Amino acid sequence: MPEPRSGGHRPPSRRAVLASAAVGLGAALTTTLTSCSTASGEAGGGGVSLTFSWWGNDDRAARTEKAVRLFEKEHPGITVRTSNADFGSYLQKLATQAAGGGIPDVVQLDYRQISQYAGSGAIMELTRPVADRTIRTSEIDEDFLRTGTYGGKLYAVPMGRGITGYAYDTRIYEKAGIPAPKPSWTWQEWAEDNRRIAALGLRSPDGRHVTGANDGAGNEDVFEDWLRSHGKQLYASQTRLGFTEDDLTDFWTFFDRLRRQGAVAAARDTSQAISTETSPIGRGLSAADYTWDAPFPAYTTLLGDSVRFAPVPTIDGKAGQYFKPSMLVGVGAHTAHPKEAAQLVDFLINDRRAGDILGFTRSTPPNRAIATRVAKTLKGAEREIYDYAVMMEKYGLSAPPTAPPRGDVAIDTAFGREYERVGYQLATPREAARELINAANRELRS
Amino acid sequence: MSTVSTRAPARAPRTTQSRPEAGRRRRRREQQWPAYVFLSPWMIGAVVLTLAPMAVSLYLSFTDYNLFDPPHWIGLRNYTEMLTDDPRYWRSVGTTMLYVVIAVPLKLGVALGAAMLLKNLGRGRAFYRSAFYAPSLLGASMSIALVWKALFNDGGSVSGLLGAVGIHAGGWVGNPHLAVYVVVLLTVWQFGAPMVIFLAGLQQISPDLYEAASLDGAGRWRQFVSVTVPMLSPVVFFNLVLETIQSFQVFTPAFVITGGKGGPADSTNFYTLYLYERGFTASHMGYASAMAWLLLIAIALVTLILFRTSRSWVFYAGEDGR
Repeated sequence: MPEPRSGGHRPPSRRAVLASAAVGLGAALTTTLTSCSTASGEAGGGGVSLTFSWWGNDDRAARTEKAVRLFEKEHPGITVRTSNADFGSYLQKLATQAAGGGIPDVVQLDYRQISQYAGSGAIMELTRPVADRTIRTSEIDEDFLRTGTYGGKLYAVPMGRGITGYAYDTRIYEKAGIPAPKPSWTWQEWAEDNRRIAALGLRSPDGRHVTGANDGAGNEDVFEDWLRSHGKQLYASQTRLGFTEDDLTDFWTFFDRLRRQGAVAAARDTSQAISTETSPIGRGLSAADYTWDAPFPAYTTLLGDSVRFAPVPTIDGKAGQYFKPSMLVGVGAHTAHPKEAAQLVDFLINDRRAGDILGFTRSTPPNRAIATRVAKTLKGAEREIYDYAVMMEKYGLSAPPTAPPRGDVAIDTAFGREYERVGYQLATPREAARELINAANRELRS
Repeated sequence: MSTVSTRAPARAPRTTQSRPEAGRRRRRREQQWPAYVFLSPWMIGAVVLTLAPMAVSLYLSFTDYNLFDPPHWIGLRNYTEMLTDDPRYWRSVGTTMLYVVIAVPLKLGVALGAAMLLKNLGRGRAFYRSAFYAPSLLGASMSIALVWKALFNDGGSVSGLLGAVGIHAGGWVGNPHLAVYVVVLLTVWQFGAPMVIFLAGLQQISPDLYEAASLDGAGRWRQFVSVTVPMLSPVVFFNLVLETIQSFQVFTPAFVITGGKGGPADSTNFYTLYLYERGFTASHMGYASAMAWLLLIAIALVTLILFRTSRSWVFYAGEDGR
């Protein structure tokens, strides 16, 4: 190409444009490559990079991040990449990661996931790190630790200890002349109290009849408490149910009758209850709501201090409740750094400073020493659930079952759905019970 | 260059035509590769993202794949269990059929009605056309489904309005007999897309036909039955096939309105919702794959039936109008 004439304004030649484009591209590429090499340099500089994922709200996320940063400071050379999500999407994401062999090194798990993840070899057996005390378990209750076992071997460590109860409005209970419930109150007394509240003829803000409690018959947790107070259990083994069609029919008939009498919430209010705000008590339609201890403080935030936490009724004084792991933590089976991953697990469970940071964000800490230490700082509703747990422990609860079988996720949803058919009078308690048992057996077989 | 052959006289002897014909074919072959180069992103996409997963899902439908363990071949067990041992499967089929049978004619009827009104509208037509079309763009979104849920919930505007005129039915979402109609109404509300197609079809009908009909003394209704309906029947058919196929796959609104559960009491547990639950909640991916294939076959069959019946009622002006 001939040299362009000098002087005067001229449009940039094609070559000039191309050249500058090439330079720009080159610069962009170099930047990208450099940034890549910095990133890998950090990880590769003799250090170890771990991944850790959990679900939960913003408060839990902030506290967990803070604890993880402290762990990194204590263990120079280990970096932890964290990720979290809400419960529903977390479960699906984790299942997909597990299917692709890309499960994180350290992973928060739900009680219902343990059998599936342990049984299919997605998470690691923890016998060795527990034996060499990389993960210390001496300050965790033995029965409670057992909830993380599958086939007799430990696969996950509980991160928090939860218990069920009834959030109830003391003002309505007083109006009906019902004393504060004791741990020994029975289902019969509970039913009678609900009828008495219904007979008060109170009206909700939108002018509807106020009932005694929510209709918990579609909740597998309520049924489990009921069964255990009868000395039975949900699952006899990983492949067999622990109850019969008659047991379930009795349970559903009991609630069906109360609902028809207007003593517990109507079916349409039950099916629309998906949060504290939409629960019957949250809408002013009931005096009580079955719930877990960790979400209880949300009820007092919504409804005021007149809401207290009561024990689940018993059969002749035998309580069915138990301390259940609100969530557990395990180590991915394909981790390249099992030792460091186990160190992080131990740190989250047993380190005093981590315990101070994490507080009660995953219910009562499983480590007794940490729980007692943190409890001293609690106030209001959090204080109440802590005292409640202490009271129930003193009252005496039987040991928790081992992790439910892998079909339980599906059985749990089937349970609510089948009772819904009873609630809308599309099936009798026995018909629904029969269908639930068929569906459950199909899940347990496959 | 290509104009040479088209301009060639039709009566030209074959021998003179064959050479440029062959040359053109060769040229076309030579010229095809750039087309494939430009198509390749979509071809790769179609193979990698659609055809291959379909093949895998067909394989998985004969296995017990559960996301965690390697799949085991179990033959037709998923299919037989579905058809003979799963009452919820058949309930979901029934719910879906009910929805299709109600929602599709209703939506097409409203779309045709609106198109007829707009056709005779003078100045405001462009505005109303856009206004009616807008819901079709919004309707598939999560946010609209959430608004819909709020409208039809207990204490929502709909139960409030009905209550004001003395109908105390409560929220529709919490009523197993009404919940499915919440989804139907949301679908019908999106009548804009078929309406635009109907409108285009109506504008194609020659005014001469109406003029001739009115000279013969035909009233408005008579004109509609004897001119509009037959002349529009290909467009009706097109919309019918499209809407039917879409309706069998209804998912998002039902998923959002019922919180992913298909409730209350399974009353909105549409086929795709049940499929999703089997696959992603219960992690029975093999079973879910089998369900997907039966759905594909069912939709293909229904479409085939529609095409068969169309011979007796769809009127193509080109066939015997000439």
